[in-house]
Amino acid sequence: MEEKKNKVGVYICYCGGNISDHVDVEEVRNRALKLPDVTVARTNMFMCSDPGQEMIIEDLKSGKIDRVVVASCAPSLHETTFRGAIERAGSNPFIYEHANIREQVSWVHHGDPATDKAAILIASATAKAKHLKPLAPIHVDAKRHATVIGGGIAGIKTALDIAGQGIDVTLIERSPLLGGQLNSLGQLAPYGDHASDILKELIDQVTGHTAITIHTNTKVEAVSGYVGNFSLNLLKKSDPENIPLTLDTGAIVMATGSVSYTPFKGEYGFGQYESVITLPELIRLLKANTSSRSMLEVNGKPIKNMVMIHCVGSRQIPGIHPPKENGTLNEYCSRTCCSAMLNAANQIRETFPETSIYEMYRDIRTYGRGQEELYMQASANKVVFMRYEADEPPEVSKNDDPDYPLQVRIKDGLTFNESLTVPADLVVLATGIEPNDVTNLASQMKLPIGTDRFLLEVHPKLRPVEFPITGIFLAGTCQAPMDSGEACNAAGAAAVKASALLSKGYIELDPFVAEVDTDKCQGHGACVEACIKEGALTLMEVINPDGNPVKQAQVTPAMCLGCGACAAVCPEGAIDINGWALKQYEDMVDAIVSDSVAV
Amino acid sequence: MSSVNLAFAKELKAYSEDTALECFNCGTCSAICPLVHDNFPRRMIRYIQVGAKDKILENANDLWRCLHCGLCTHTCPRQADPGEIILGLKRFVVANWRA
Ligand SMILES: Cc1cc2nc3c(=O)[nH]c(=O)nc-3n(C[C@H](O)[C@H](O)[C@H](O)COP(=O)(O)OP(=O)(O)OC[C@H]3O[C@@H](n4cnc5c(N)ncnc54)[C@H](O)[C@@H]3O)c2cc1C
Ligand code: SF4
Ligand code: SF4
Ligand code: SF4
Ligand code: SF4
Repeated sequence: MEEKKNKVGVYICYCGGNISDHVDVEEVRNRALKLPDVTVARTNMFMCSDPGQEMIIEDLKSGKIDRVVVASCAPSLHETTFRGAIERAGSNPFIYEHANIREQVSWVHHGDPATDKAAILIASATAKAKHLKPLAPIHVDAKRHATVIGGGIAGIKTALDIAGQGIDVTLIERSPLLGGQLNSLGQLAPYGDHASDILKELIDQVTGHTAITIHTNTKVEAVSGYVGNFSLNLLKKSDPENIPLTLDTGAIVMATGSVSYTPFKGEYGFGQYESVITLPELIRLLKANTSSRSMLEVNGKPIKNMVMIHCVGSRQIPGIHPPKENGTLNEYCSRTCCSAMLNAANQIRETFPETSIYEMYRDIRTYGRGQEELYMQASANKVVFMRYEADEPPEVSKNDDPDYPLQVRIKDGLTFNESLTVPADLVVLATGIEPNDVTNLASQMKLPIGTDRFLLEVHPKLRPVEFPITGIFLAGTCQAPMDSGEACNAAGAAAVKASALLSKGYIELDPFVAEVDTDKCQGHGACVEACIKEGALTLMEVINPDGNPVKQAQVTPAMCLGCGACAAVCPEGAIDINGWALKQYEDMVDAIVSDSVAV
Repeated sequence: MSSVNLAFAKELKAYSEDTALECFNCGTCSAICPLVHDNFPRRMIRYIQVGAKDKILENANDLWRCLHCGLCTHTCPRQADPGEIILGLKRFVVANWRA
């Protein structure tokens, strides 16, 4: 047999029938063996199993192959598995290419076309693999320091948990106080802990921690740099000369939280009648109340009959609810208000038994542990529930009765859709949660924002506290409505992610970034103009072999996104992406259109 | 359109068990009642909850179709005791018939 120049090994998986039920795997193997660069082609019931991986390791060790192609499921599942196997064989893990013949073939095609497509994808992966070269991960020194932006419960908890791992933390809060929204809450749903007790405990810990520096009254003006080496410009409000502070940090956690929705004037009589208040206002009143009377008092007036309206500024429906001036509509459920309303209702009914309560809801969403009990408790406390539909909300209007300045009319689903009028001397609106506006910071850091205006993680299940920008994380209600317990869960997760990233003092990044061929680069600078990531590519003066100064493009690997915008424009073909070179694409396309593996 | 009568619950206390507000309007009792239809007995219980005294008097005839088989009370997931409430309403209606 003639000696082949390249030695690609192809390993094809049955996936226990997932692939082999539709793809003739042995036929694919036979065709792969005929490819000019393939020296070994094998099949296995489960390539990811130990025996499957062992085949690769043996072939590498015995020198039969020097490039590996595995044809199996999606690379997101097992690419790292096979790279690991190659590493265990003592080879460079980047001589690996993947062909997805499950999601892209057996799950969507059947019979001969499936077999043909699998063979073609393998031919194309092989064509690419032969150009793979050993690469080294990009080594970036990382500052063992993290910065948390936002000093609510999520930010405080994140700072404490990172510092607990022996990493220095700076906590930045734009207001004068740590604690965020919990400062204005009283007894918390669902278990009745006092927000002030929780905050005191956490703030004592965070202010007493030697590894944590706190900046209150401080704004983040600018953010630059990359994972391990971010730089922040801070501005202290108290500084009369406005001299920005510079802070170097290895990782950033966004914990910028949220605010309670402000109703527009006239929304359920808000801003029109003084007896219409929001839920945060009611909570503040309850917190300040010291009266021992049997009726709740507001501004010195006893409240006999209180109406509570759910879903104000949440679960808004296009065409039914008017958008705000800036065009936004809150279509999401704020998740915390049902429980907070029931919690307040219970407190009132238990402390002021002469105050009656009517709760008007669309749905009761007491979703978490200990929350449904609040609803049961409210029923036992004789809270009267009424149900309205979004398109026929309750109407608040003036009442002629001097005892009850207001009346609320509702078409009540629980009373067979009859119209009922409830006389009231206090109306409380369950205003939901809206994210704090951080568009400026987000655009500087290139952080994605969802259509609901909350910050958007990489994946809601698989990577729930990470941004696509390496080294930046998120926690708490800047991400979505959640209660303080859930905000603390997220904080713990973000802290662990940030600590793990910074623990070694350096970070290894995938090497799939741009590289300049210094023999070819003429310093046109077209690539620098095309580059979408500030700081990834610069034109630098270098001394050429003749001793003359010339301009050439230079990549900062830690910043480069590997997008390839530069490679597409260079007239000299002098810049290319490691692992994804133009030549590789060309050969892949050639392999797909040639009939090398066709029947 | 009727106005919610806040005092009605107190008025009723003299005649009936005070469990109407335990009811969370699931309708199980109405589904199981073998004798009366159209949301009975839940309808009556709801009228108590919102204090719709006039509605109860208007629909009082239905009350006498209940034979107190006890199925509703037995099935109620909230221990609102609907059967007992219906009995109490009969007492109330008798007392208020000509009032
Ligand atoms: C009416 C109401 C009732 C509630 N009731 C309960 C309850 O009973 N039980 C419960 O568990 N939860 C309840 N919640 C939810 C609870 O308030 C939140 O879960 C909690 O406050 C979230 O904490 P956080 O740290 O994410 O955000 P926040 O508390 O909003 O804190 C964010 C902090 O970040 C700061 N910040 C924002 N932007 C910047 C910036 N650019 N730079 C620096 N700092 C910044 C803010 O000033 C703030 O201090 C309720 C919420 C509302 C609105
Ligand atoms: S938690 Fe309840 S009140 Fe709040 S938006 Fe959701 S359904 Fe409406
Ligand atoms: S690959 Fe993209 S980010 Fe990297 S240098 Fe080229 S254009 Fe810039
Ligand atoms: S007790 Fe009366 S209301 Fe209840 S199920 Fe029997 S007949 Fe119906
Ligand atoms: S079964 Fe009980 S809770 Fe359900 S509607 Fe009837 S009385 Fe109410």
